[in-house]
Amino acid sequence: MKISFPYMGVPFVYKKVLELLGHDVIMPPRPSQRTIDLGVKYSPEFACFPLKVIMGSYIEAIKMGADTIVTSGGHGPCRAGFYGENHQQTLKQLGYDVDFIVFDGWRDNIKRNIQNVRKIKGKNSIFKVYKIVRLVYQMLQVVDSLEMRIQTLRAYEKAKGTCNKIWDAIQRKLDEVETKEQLEEFKKYFYDQLDRVELQEVAPQEKIRIGIVGEIYVVMEPSINMQIEKVLGDMGVEVRRSQYLSQWVEHNMIPFKKTHEDEILKKGEPWIEISIGGHAKQTMGHIVDYKQQGFDGIIHLMPFACLPELISQGIMPKISEELDIPVLTIPLDEQTGLANNLTRIEAFVDLLKNKKNNQHKTAVIA
Amino acid sequence: MKIGIPRSLLYYYYYPLWKNFFEELGVDVVTSPPTTKKILDLGVRNMVSDICVPIKIFMGHFYYLMEKELDYIYVPRMVSIEKRKFFCPKFMGLPDLVRHTIENPKKVLRPSIVAKDDNIALLENFLPLAEPLGKTKGEIKKALKKAETAWLHFRQLSKEGYFHQDAMNIALGKVQKENLPIYQGGEITIGLIGYVYNIYDDYISMNIMEKLQQLNIKVITFDMLPENEIERPIKQMDKALFWTFSNKLLGAGKHLFRKNQVDGIIHVTAFGCGPDSMIGKMFELESQDTQIPFMTLRIDEHTGENHLQTRVEAFTDMIKRKKV
Ligand code: SF4
Ligand code: SF4
Repeated sequence: MKISFPYMGVPFVYKKVLELLGHDVIMPPRPSQRTIDLGVKYSPEFACFPLKVIMGSYIEAIKMGADTIVTSGGHGPCRAGFYGENHQQTLKQLGYDVDFIVFDGWRDNIKRNIQNVRKIKGKNSIFKVYKIVRLVYQMLQVVDSLEMRIQTLRAYEKAKGTCNKIWDAIQRKLDEVETKEQLEEFKKYFYDQLDRVELQEVAPQEKIRIGIVGEIYVVMEPSINMQIEKVLGDMGVEVRRSQYLSQWVEHNMIPFKKTHEDEILKKGEPWIEISIGGHAKQTMGHIVDYKQQGFDGIIHLMPFACLPELISQGIMPKISEELDIPVLTIPLDEQTGLANNLTRIEAFVDLLKNKKNNQHKTAVIA
Repeated sequence: MKIGIPRSLLYYYYYPLWKNFFEELGVDVVTSPPTTKKILDLGVRNMVSDICVPIKIFMGHFYYLMEKELDYIYVPRMVSIEKRKFFCPKFMGLPDLVRHTIENPKKVLRPSIVAKDDNIALLENFLPLAEPLGKTKGEIKKALKKAETAWLHFRQLSKEGYFHQDAMNIALGKVQKENLPIYQGGEITIGLIGYVYNIYDDYISMNIMEKLQQLNIKVITFDMLPENEIERPIKQMDKALFWTFSNKLLGAGKHLFRKNQVDGIIHVTAFGCGPDSMIGKMFELESQDTQIPFMTLRIDEHTGENHLQTRVEAFTDMIKRKKV
């Protein structure tokens, strides 16, 4: 069994779980133009952008030898829950012989998930599986917290690119971590590295913080969101994004746990009353949350024509006005490159800076 | 008291129920007129540009009604009418979209609709309206009974083979059933698969029903088929879609493909419709398997009538030629 999986966020983590369980893993390549082209070619024209990119990823992984694909399903009511089916059908039609192991959220399909766990688990004891999963979850938490620090530091580093280098090193080194002790070491080492990043002095009133919200795949996967976090960081902007893997795991895989996401959903309720699929309600909730945390602006990423995010996009003018926080919506698809959006992003950051400066000035005068 | 009902989306499926419900309670029902360019433009102007045409049209009707002297505009939140299945996310978020884009959100009456099947005339769904309408539980119950009967009648007429508009007219008591024969003609039969708000809105579908009849074609739509026949092909799938109405279209399409009742199938879909992108793919596969011709008609606010006419004629001519 040669296993692969969709490429999203910090894919090293899936790789890790599967390797520790003793599987042969085919690491899918980071999505490139070729991936996108392949995906577009073999997907329905009006399918969601993430579905297309993932399709491309699968084909690349299969060409590299993968015969089994592990992925998460979705709870509906959006298309994501149907991705697995569509991918399977298409791949079959293309003549590829692959097995799919689809994990739905625990609460959605316990029976299938247990079957899946059996398949994935191989000869490992449940105890071992538990230990591995716990270790990887701890890794996720470490990586997420390192990433958040980077998202802050990148805005103020003296030598541009320092943080990016460290981030790359983090991902590379993570590959070698196999025990709790190594994880501790890894953590210490990189915290230390980050402590040593030289920073410019920036006055608090000049610091700009942007929250990135929207559909999970485009928010989490830098290779299809134009590396927006790095771009903003290089412009001197601190960023946070609405999704981190450890939170996703917490919310979707750990049964009955009260999580950060539950709070976010609560905050979204006045804007979108019920969950309407995808992450539209979370999108609203995160905007409220970022505002409460004193952020200066929001960038809203959505796949072109994303059903639930079109609803949140429609509500954006009102929430932006009512909370007094500027929002920039960027729809992404195979045709929208960075160049198209770069000027919009720059203009948006300028707007935030001006707004903040003016506020500061009036505050000083008053 | 006056309540406005936008003539769009599920108006085409539930209007007999809604109208009877409100009128039985002594409330005046005002509907917007059939879609026109003006109404569409009103929606286009007030909505995000990438959203599908049906939602733009809905917004047009909504804004049209906003200008009238009304106490409320009725925008139910269509959540689910089938276990673990939902409406398209845009339906589920519609009341939020509406109340956060207008100045006086109090005007929007937005009960949540959850049911086990198409028959949504349940007390839980409509009881929340008692307070804003100033009615008692008993009155709501009674009105629902009447509404349910009218709606069931309407659905029954569709299943007997009446075209939508005729079924609606009979159910609303505008015409006597005896005076309206069911259209029987047709050199060939076409399955016309599309959401009610696309195929029965004459503006957006450019009168496709009538065009087909003029070409001497018999038409079968999903709402004419018995529910269990639509459900069967869906049950056979490993995993059905998440959206009830999309499953209905898919099931109806599959049924027609496999039962050899039609000479061809036309899928009418709105530009940018997410669920349909999934269905379309499956219809293509069915068409390959069964050798029954299939065509997708994609419509949006810019589709020209000539273009549509030409494509429908070409498609049906091809089928007629094949048949002789
Ligand atoms: S949330 Fe958006 S991108 Fe995701 S499946 Fe739904 S429509 Fe597609
Ligand atoms: S089902 Fe398609 S056409 Fe209907 S509202 Fe949803 S996206 Fe629009």
